[in-house]
Amino acid sequence: MSHRGYTIADTCFLIDWSKYRYRDILFKIFRTVFVPEEVLREIKSEDTITWISRELARDNLSLYTVSRFEIDEARRLIEISREKPHLPSIDLPEAICLVIGRTRGYVVLTENRGALYIPRSVDEYRDVVVWRSLELLVNAVLYSILKVDCGSPDTIFKEYMRDTLHLFPRKAHEEAVERVRRYCLERRF
Amino acid sequence: MSGEEVLKELIEEEIEAREIRRRMANWEFINRQPPRIREALVFYIEKGDIRLAARLAGLDLEDFRELLRKANIPVIV
Repeated sequence: MSHRGYTIADTCFLIDWSKYRYRDILFKIFRTVFVPEEVLREIKSEDTITWISRELARDNLSLYTVSRFEIDEARRLIEISREKPHLPSIDLPEAICLVIGRTRGYVVLTENRGALYIPRSVDEYRDVVVWRSLELLVNAVLYSILKVDCGSPDTIFKEYMRDTLHLFPRKAHEEAVERVRRYCLERRF
Repeated sequence: MSGEEVLKELIEEEIEAREIRRRMANWEFINRQPPRIREALVFYIEKGDIRLAARLAGLDLEDFRELLRKANIPVIV
């Protein structure tokens, strides 16, 4: 049984997540993970394509065909983001994911810093839920999908970082470990 | 969160990330690469913009991500 409905994943998320030893927990959290055609076109390596093809065959992943309207909206979002010089740049694939997040209510999975900051910087996107792998790991613990060693609550993050060479910003990482620690404490009572 | 707070957080995170990328990078590997690849890796270390760095290198995004792993340059998000 899935805990959340639909999600849409961008390229940077998929190519890192596919290296993670427990990557299939993704499909226990979400009913369906949509992949826009624009994202699929960027996936090239045999390992990642193999994983994606198999999960498409199992109906865990699903191709999302983007409409003309969504592409236009994504281009508009890129233009809006360019007007905010402090924001890291976003490109079409992650902009498409954000537009779909807004219009369809899907959780957006991304590892793009610009995309991560859009809900905090662009008012009409403030309700879009954007997760990177860090939030996904925390939620996997909270939903009891990922077993955590409460004596070492940082282990799940370290495993991900070791598998992918993807690190988390210190403050966000510490907050995530603290959240897992609280989860462990709450389960004791 | 106000625009100023977002900006402050972004700047702090980017400074932290850049220092980690510089420190962890395998500079011997980087300096052995052809000029275009080498400069793209250095650009990524300084700016953290993977798409632009991949374009500078003339590589697909995924191939460039693999190159970052070989150069021991972490993605920090």
